[in-house]
Amino acid sequence: MRSSLRHTPALLRHARAARPSCRVPLAAAVQSPTLGAPALALALAPASTRASSSSSVNPSEISHFNALAATWWDPHGSSRILHLMNPLRHDFIGTCRASSPTVTSSTPAGQLRYLDVGCGGGIFAESAARLPSTASVTAIDPSPGVLAVARSHAARDPGLTAEKLEYISATIETLPPGGGNKDFDVVTLFEVVEHVDNPAAFLDRCGEFVKPGGWLVMSTIARTWTSWFTTNLMAEDILGVVPKGTHDWRKYINEDELRAHFRGKSGWSSPRVMGVVYFPGLGWKEVRGSEKIGNYFFAVQKNA
Amino acid sequence: MDSITRRRAAAYVCRSCIRRTYTQRHQRTYSSAVQPDIYDVVCVGGGPAGLSLLTALRASPVTSHLRIALVEAQDLSKIQSWKLPPDRFSNRCSSLTPSSALFLDKIGAWDHLARDRIQPYHEMQVWDGVSDARIEFNWAPDAAPSAGTTIAYMTENLNLTSGLLRRLAQLGGVSVFGNAKVENISFGEQTEAQDLREWPVVNLAGGKQLVARLLVGADGANSPVRSFAGIEARGWDYGRHGVVATLELQGQGWGGDQMKTAYQRFLPTGPVAMLPLPGNYSTLVWSTTPENASLLKRLPTKDFVALVNAAFQLSPADLEFMHTQSEGQAEEYSWRSEHTPFHSEIIPQAVTGVQEGTIASFPLKMRHADTYIGERVALVGDAAHTIHPLAGQGLNQGQGDVQSLANTIEYAVNHGQDIGGRLSLEPYLAERYTANHVLMGVCDKLHKLYSVGSGPIVSLRSLGLNAVNSLGPLKTFVMSQAAGHGTKVF
Ligand SMILES: Cc1cc2nc3c(=O)[nH]c(=O)nc-3n(C[C@H](O)[C@H](O)[C@H](O)COP(=O)(O)OP(=O)(O)OC[C@H]3O[C@@H](n4cnc5c(N)ncnc54)[C@H](O)[C@@H]3O)c2cc1C
Ligand SMILES: C[S@@+](CC[C@H](N)C(=O)[O-])C[C@H]1O[C@@H](n2cnc3c(N)ncnc32)[C@H](O)[C@@H]1O
Repeated sequence: MRSSLRHTPALLRHARAARPSCRVPLAAAVQSPTLGAPALALALAPASTRASSSSSVNPSEISHFNALAATWWDPHGSSRILHLMNPLRHDFIGTCRASSPTVTSSTPAGQLRYLDVGCGGGIFAESAARLPSTASVTAIDPSPGVLAVARSHAARDPGLTAEKLEYISATIETLPPGGGNKDFDVVTLFEVVEHVDNPAAFLDRCGEFVKPGGWLVMSTIARTWTSWFTTNLMAEDILGVVPKGTHDWRKYINEDELRAHFRGKSGWSSPRVMGVVYFPGLGWKEVRGSEKIGNYFFAVQKNA
Repeated sequence: MDSITRRRAAAYVCRSCIRRTYTQRHQRTYSSAVQPDIYDVVCVGGGPAGLSLLTALRASPVTSHLRIALVEAQDLSKIQSWKLPPDRFSNRCSSLTPSSALFLDKIGAWDHLARDRIQPYHEMQVWDGVSDARIEFNWAPDAAPSAGTTIAYMTENLNLTSGLLRRLAQLGGVSVFGNAKVENISFGEQTEAQDLREWPVVNLAGGKQLVARLLVGADGANSPVRSFAGIEARGWDYGRHGVVATLELQGQGWGGDQMKTAYQRFLPTGPVAMLPLPGNYSTLVWSTTPENASLLKRLPTKDFVALVNAAFQLSPADLEFMHTQSEGQAEEYSWRSEHTPFHSEIIPQAVTGVQEGTIASFPLKMRHADTYIGERVALVGDAAHTIHPLAGQGLNQGQGDVQSLANTIEYAVNHGQDIGGRLSLEPYLAERYTANHVLMGVCDKLHKLYSVGSGPIVSLRSLGLNAVNSLGPLKTFVMSQAAGHGTKVF
């Protein structure tokens, strides 16, 4: 959804197709940014109550994604750029797991259990469920319309059995904690943290579902002058290629903020990051250092 | 990345579902609601393209667990056990480029071909029949590509397909439906448990139904899969026929059996080519007018032989006259050749005979499908494109398609993509379409350029051939295209 918008109009035009799903309230978006504004520091401030039942859900986000549901699986629709990004998610998870001597699994055959939070139409969840190395995927999302699309799409593939892939209409706050064997080898939050209220509390809650030795893996977009300039000023205000109010730049989270968040907690280590850039015609490519300006993946491992 | 690529794929259609399918069918023999027989890949067409694809999928550890079916109208067991005496050769032969041969080796098929029936060649003699401008394709000592000096390997199509079938039998695991004609292709149904309304269902004569996650059309120029997918194939007929025959020559060739040469002469009616087979044998591919083709098929053997010899030696005017004779070409040729000066070593050795029953002809056409992919559909080989044979590239293009599609499917499996999804198939289309289009355009333009008998174009094109001959790098480029090394440029 959120890709790093680059400076050329051609790229902006391409990026536009990728963007409409990332809408936030107009009022918030039109304010000009203050770099390093305390808003974000606040957003990522340690949650006062871990595992609180207070919701991370922002209602206008949910209605926005509901509206998008119909086009989720159109390969040339608004989610095309997400579809194209999906293989990189598997590559990134693979690199993370290969980087650590501690490797978890959930079956004697070494298969993994995944929890996909904010699964949307199920782009990642379906693909993870198809991997032979997967034991099962539990996928949750608070938007009912989106989840209905996910379910009906999965029914079109007889390979995606109920044992492999389960959709639950839930938020991470309402999902009952598993504990022990029921925990997950990999918990994923792809393009979700920038849509939630209280990201710090949200991340902590998600982290509770990770097995010792397992990974919390996410992707999002950095909050920088470049991303403000390209996504807010150029794309929305000057070129008008993206509907006004599409981005709440202030909700973007930087990779060093994520690192600092997990450094401040005990129980997490080995943070990894991968910056990616979308090149029209070529697709998504890893670009070292680009995590500072645009889209990036981030992961941390729970201490065993 | 590593741990992902190392992951072995299990069939998308889980084994337990299949088991369930079978047991239910046994329990409900009389029920009309038979559970669908679902495959990951259903390939229609067991020609060179289809068989190579399935062999590639079975040979790779990433895709070997896919559930695969092959549907072919011909009797495949006959093709698998195909055998001819060492001195007889089939008339349908193709030049396999080194990159096609490498691919066949990679998938373990090359060793299953009868190697003593394959003839590598190392030189090409190409010349203009009107102006005699000439280009000799032989590798300059420092220009030879690292794969060796072989330009291509002349291979009987049946040697290739029977070798592929043996390799496939060795690998096992493909549900083979031979002698099975596709009656029609429809879509699946929606039940409570699953929604197969977008899945192709291949209906065989006799009522068998195969449901496909990915339906591959390797079903040749009149592809029923392509029609099902509603993909247009555009192009034109050349108004020419290709005449093929297995020829016996006076010797093994001027360079003996270690240095064989392919010959091609452009005549106003189309190119005539003679490509070396083992020993004293060669295969003829002569594109000419339908009238000339039917004359060639009617002629007594000695007159046919004379006309073939004449085609590489006499002037177009002489040839035109000999085509007006209903017989007697042998006498005409011996008389005329005495009066035509030529340098014997730059044309093929004299043809002395034709193997019985090997003279055949087929119409030449050029077709290119608008796309190679659709939702749950991919086209490969002649189903995607039919090309003028003058470059000897038809079968090689198909091998290129297959290699690319197999890689695309492997990537999709490794990343949990639905291998039938259009998005998963896009890299195949991107990799192959332009490459094929450019090659087809080049061959088409060569055909048109050389179909002109006189006038400024002839002097221009001779200038072209002579210039190419004296330009080392350009020649190397042309040759590496023929040998399949230069795909990057396209
Ligand atoms: C008569 C002829 C002569 C040729 N000679 C030469 C030559 O000398 N040199 C050269 O380079 N190229 C030659 N070509 C071209 C070359 O043969 C093709 O490029 C090559 O065979 C293409 O391979 P393929 O696997 O894509 O298709 P094909 O070889 O055409 O295979 C398609 C297969 O699909 C099967 N099929 C089709 N419809 C159905 C159906 N409804 N149900 C079940 N099965 C079906 C057919 O039986 C066939 O086996 C010739 C082509 C023809 C037609
Ligand atoms: C940009 S989409 C990404 C979908 C999916 N992860 C993907 O990348 O394909 C964001 C998703 O997050 C969901 N979402 C929004 N707020 C959320 C919250 N507080 N908790 C969990 N998911 C949320 C939305 O419903 C939407 O489906």
